[in-house]
Amino acid sequence: MVQVSDKTDGSKAEKEAFLGIDVGSVSCKFVLIDIDGNLLTHVFLRNRGSPIDSVKDGMAKLKEAVQENEELQSYTIKACGTTGSARYLTKAIVGGDLAKTEIIAHAVATQSMYPNVRTILEIGGQDSKIIILRDGIIIDFAMNSVCAAGTGSFLDHQASRLGIAIEEFGDYAVKSNNPLSIAGRCTVFAESDMIHKQNAGHSREDIIAGLCDSLVRNYLNNITKGKDLDEPVVFQGGVSYNQGIVEAFERHLGCKVEVPKYNVLMGALGMAILVRDHYIDNETETLFRGLDVSEQEFKTSTFNCGDCPNNCEIVQVKMPSDENKVIARWGSRCGKWEVF
Amino acid sequence: MIVSFPNMGPNWVAFKTFFETMGAEVIVPEPTNRNTIKFGVKHSPEFVCFPFKATIGDFKNALERGADTLVMAIDCGPCRFGFYASVQERILRDLGYKDFRLIPLDQADLLEFKWVKVLFDVSPSKSVSMYSKALKAVIMLLKKAKLLEDIQTAEGLFRAYERTQGDTTHVVNDLLQQLDQTNSLSGLRKFRPIIKNTFANMDIDRTRNPLRVGISGEIHISLEPYVNIDLRKKLGEMGVEIHQSISLYDWVMHKLHVNFHRKWYEHLAKPYVPIDIGGECRWVLGEYIDKANAGFDGFVHEYPFTCMPEVVARTIITNKLKKMYDMPIIYFSFDEQSGVEGMRTRLEAFVDLMHSRRNQDVKTNKVKLVNNQKQYGHYGNNFCHECIELIQPK
Repeated sequence: MVQVSDKTDGSKAEKEAFLGIDVGSVSCKFVLIDIDGNLLTHVFLRNRGSPIDSVKDGMAKLKEAVQENEELQSYTIKACGTTGSARYLTKAIVGGDLAKTEIIAHAVATQSMYPNVRTILEIGGQDSKIIILRDGIIIDFAMNSVCAAGTGSFLDHQASRLGIAIEEFGDYAVKSNNPLSIAGRCTVFAESDMIHKQNAGHSREDIIAGLCDSLVRNYLNNITKGKDLDEPVVFQGGVSYNQGIVEAFERHLGCKVEVPKYNVLMGALGMAILVRDHYIDNETETLFRGLDVSEQEFKTSTFNCGDCPNNCEIVQVKMPSDENKVIARWGSRCGKWEVF
Repeated sequence: MIVSFPNMGPNWVAFKTFFETMGAEVIVPEPTNRNTIKFGVKHSPEFVCFPFKATIGDFKNALERGADTLVMAIDCGPCRFGFYASVQERILRDLGYKDFRLIPLDQADLLEFKWVKVLFDVSPSKSVSMYSKALKAVIMLLKKAKLLEDIQTAEGLFRAYERTQGDTTHVVNDLLQQLDQTNSLSGLRKFRPIIKNTFANMDIDRTRNPLRVGISGEIHISLEPYVNIDLRKKLGEMGVEIHQSISLYDWVMHKLHVNFHRKWYEHLAKPYVPIDIGGECRWVLGEYIDKANAGFDGFVHEYPFTCMPEVVARTIITNKLKKMYDMPIIYFSFDEQSGVEGMRTRLEAFVDLMHSRRNQDVKTNKVKLVNNQKQYGHYGNNFCHECIELIQPK
């Protein structure tokens, strides 16, 4: 696994920077680090429509941040890595050097902050995962596969139904003295249970605390089934902003749960570290197209293959500025159209 | 009489010979595709397992192309699979398909010879010559099934070494066509060298030292590539050597009580599941232990969503065996979903996990790599060893 400090080499005169991009289901994150692994700047924004638009927006924001900051301008981006569910598409668009799964990226980032970490809990917008590490290597992981119960999107939905902002959700839970019991097996049951309790006149604080508790129970039953959760435990991802969930985890696990400073940026940070190590190991010219990607035009089109009864819908992205070259194409079952 | 049968990966080659040798006309099921699944999902009970939905879709395709006799395996085993043939027949009749017969092929114990009746049923002539034809049909089926197993073994090994991605897939498709055209016993006898030569002529990178992974699980899911979203191919193209012992031949031999490999798995699994509870539960457990002892890097378990026996196996592995044998395992539960992204993420992460574990093991000297090659010992069948010799000549 990647060690953070032992590969760094400060002798070079030029200031080198590395970019990590994490395009998730709900938000996308950009992190710029220097060669020692210090975070220089970051961008966090909600997805808008396609990942292409989100990445372009993010790049524009990053460019602004760099232009505003004198010091950042002395850095050059030497390599760029992508992660998240749209990692290959993003890699094709920005010209990434490395694409890795978010599981590895999260583990690497967490290890850089907590070298002895043994359990990583991660709950994001659409998926939740657990990573188990021993002696610095990942020995096990699990990810929700079919059900989005207990992820950020569900909490978001419930918050808007109860009429409170998602940012305040956790504070309500902490105020409760008597958390209700809410069915946690499935969010459909949880929601009808909540409506019932609401109509029965229970306070919002108690309902929210009960919901946090049931969400944690659901996570522990579904994802961590049969795994040993040892200390130190680190909890990250968007949901870790929610103090109610953090406390529910501490109650259920019976130990301290750490929330890192950059809890939502961990994927992008890990990717930046990974691509930095990739760069140090094999010094190759980067494929990165530069921060001007935001002004680049990409044309997306779809067509049906029709060569077999599957009739797959193929999506392709072209770059008009580069002789209309196809930079990414995907969607076929058999893989014959795939370009990444 | 026009016979058809459901899809199960490349095994159409064997089934086709089986019925053609009896003199029946055969319609080979069209490759499973989105329309097959759509039909199956629409007209099946919702909580039935996925193979039911896929096979009923195959039957509908066959009926529309003119088949009038469908053959479906049944089993008096402990899982609901035994009822699939009769339920499917009813559903198809209710949908308005009238002129067809669905012949159940009883495979609960092949030594009871109930399956012979199926052969006589599909035979157009009812003379004495039928008996000699039946004998030949069985021999042809077994021979082709064994050759299909060999192709599968070689495919799993060679894909991890191929220089151009997709070479192995082409070779396999060519061999399947060639095997389908070979319809004499003498031709089949010469076929194994053909398989070896074709694979040996591939452009492979012998210096690689790929991870070794075992795949097991429910038989239909494990063999039908559309249903398991090309799991074998995907994993192979990430540079992983695949050892899958499950195949049609393996199953038939087991049902003829001469599969000693499976007997060994049963022995290994006995402390956890002493009786057959359906699916591949016992053998998955046994294979997990066996492969862990042979020093494999990982294991993949695939099963249809809602399959009880496989879920039992999964729970026993996570809660008990994994802690004892410490071999990484990943599970895939398949249903009609066709989203590939989540699966690919988990597969990639799994491969990374196995790599980092291996590097750690090499560092701490838990594993010795001789000339950077992992030693195989006595694992795998004869053909598997012959293939390994082709890749790493001594």
